[in-house]
Amino acid sequence: MKNIIYLISLVLLGFWSHAQVTITNGNHMIEISGSASAYYNHRILKESSNNHNKDRFKLRDAQLKIEGRIKDIWAYELQVDFADIAANDTGEIDPENPGLMDAYVEYKGLDWFDVKVGYSKVPYSRSSMTPFGFTTYWQRAEMVRGSMFNRRDVGVTLSKGFWKQRVNIAAGVYTGLGEISLNGDNDASGNPEFIGRAEVAYPSRFRHREIDDRHTPVPMFSMGVNGRYANKKLPEGRAFPEGAQGEYGMKVVDGTKYAYGFDVAFQYMGFSGQFEMHKIKGQPQKQNDPLYLGLPLQQTQGYFQSGGYVAQLNYFIKDYKTIVSARFEELDLNDLATGKSQRFSPALAYQINGFDAMIKFQYFNILKEESIDPIRWKEQFRIGLQLKFK
Amino acid sequence: MKAIYITLVLLFSAGSFAQKKKPVKITPERKIHISIPEPSDICIHPDGKSLFIVSDNGYLYQTDLEGTIIKKADYKGLDCEGVYVNEENVYVVEEFSRKIRVFDIETLTNHKTVYLEYNGGRNSAYEAITFNKAKDKFVLLTEKNPIYLFELDQNLQKVNEIDLSKISRDISAASYHNDHLWLLGDEDMTVYKVNPKTYETLNSWKIPVVNPEGLTFDKNGNMLILSDDMQLLYYFKNPEN
Repeated sequence: MKNIIYLISLVLLGFWSHAQVTITNGNHMIEISGSASAYYNHRILKESSNNHNKDRFKLRDAQLKIEGRIKDIWAYELQVDFADIAANDTGEIDPENPGLMDAYVEYKGLDWFDVKVGYSKVPYSRSSMTPFGFTTYWQRAEMVRGSMFNRRDVGVTLSKGFWKQRVNIAAGVYTGLGEISLNGDNDASGNPEFIGRAEVAYPSRFRHREIDDRHTPVPMFSMGVNGRYANKKLPEGRAFPEGAQGEYGMKVVDGTKYAYGFDVAFQYMGFSGQFEMHKIKGQPQKQNDPLYLGLPLQQTQGYFQSGGYVAQLNYFIKDYKTIVSARFEELDLNDLATGKSQRFSPALAYQINGFDAMIKFQYFNILKEESIDPIRWKEQFRIGLQLKFK
Repeated sequence: MKAIYITLVLLFSAGSFAQKKKPVKITPERKIHISIPEPSDICIHPDGKSLFIVSDNGYLYQTDLEGTIIKKADYKGLDCEGVYVNEENVYVVEEFSRKIRVFDIETLTNHKTVYLEYNGGRNSAYEAITFNKAKDKFVLLTEKNPIYLFELDQNLQKVNEIDLSKISRDISAASYHNDHLWLLGDEDMTVYKVNPKTYETLNSWKIPVVNPEGLTFDKNGNMLILSDDMQLLYYFKNPEN
């Protein structure tokens, strides 16, 4: 099966690289695009570890995207990553790269809002919503890469822009199981997740981009707030579908889960910066829930909290087609455990052809660890090539 | 550790291109807020007393020189990105549909539509139109990936294709003024003066305008630049003076 997927991918990639990328009859347009990227990763391990299995080449993306527009009324998109489908076949499911990336239909024919139905990114976290190919990095910050909250889900989103698109709001209801929603069923609670986001920019609209590749001549700012809520109290004897709770066991909680956050961004003359903060409050219904870390009710008071922040600065050296970025993140996975983790990650990207073809280098450094999340490596280097074709 | 950084910097620097002559920075004389949402191109009436402006959301407007709407065509297009006017007609380019709509200059009624096939990206297609008097041809430009300049005959049919990708990262507008072709680059925020026969860049100017999408010249030689995101019309002195 895997070999067949690879074969089909190679044939299609070869075909499309020499063929048309849009088909239109004047009213209905179909656009075909995609991307491919691969990197080499090297880890410096702690003395306590001898497993160098992450020193490797990796095919990160082999994506194909089909976007359609019918006049300015309908939009649809189907985006698939063959590299992730192949990897998921081996049992390694990466929430940042779930295989199916988008499959939705959007109706733009109403005056008051647009309606999107299907599977796509949910309107939560600016960093999560920023297209990966427009960043300097090979990996998003830990907090926003899909291990603590779902980045994609099946559901309905209503959205609208106001004030020359400086103000954008979006709200939706989703299955609440994130990428696992693609399995088809909800969990035994049957309840959805509600998500909303509002953002305002000045003096003009501010797209979800991290790099000021235009060297914007006037300072531009953006601020966003977002929140989400799910009540997923499972009936007695029931469990979540396998993998739904994610790496840290908190993507969905057997109980109620609130998350809220804000973000700010600016760009000016090639400099840009983003700051994003999130707070999660979970109230598992069972006192023996692992998220309580085995602590008594008197100590937990029936809830745990999680959260942190990410701060990133970038500069685009236009004459050298090079982007320099530095990112610092602090993460408290569970306030019932001691300590917080801190990571520092600078990155460098050289644009061979804008964002369409870049050599990217990222350095990871674990500054601090949280007691419940020991990591077996100290530093990591990742260098590779990204190509978007359209 | 340091060695890795130094190696990377050297590698990246070695791959960088030789520096081009930098464009001269110029500043606007004044700017006007206009009430047209998402304005995407501008041209001036042959009598010099009014402007034609198109918008991303598919409308054609006639305004006075301050951008106040005088007339709106009874028409809803699909992503209008370019506009050109001569003594008889207004020509509007729709990026989405790959069509050129021709309107009567007096009534603004659409009396002719031409479909020009282009299989490039949906948002990287036809972006600018003007008339090149030096070659007696219309010129129609794509935005990027690549930047094609198509020469069109009087029937708006393609007769030639030139790749101008080396000029700029993208092209958002075109105008013909003082026997030269002038092009506008949105991403580089730069105006280019181009030889209309060879399409070689003769000079360039950097403009402090966010998302510049429209370019024309008034009867006094002032350069008018339209900002889409800011919904502003900027007046610059002729940069050659």
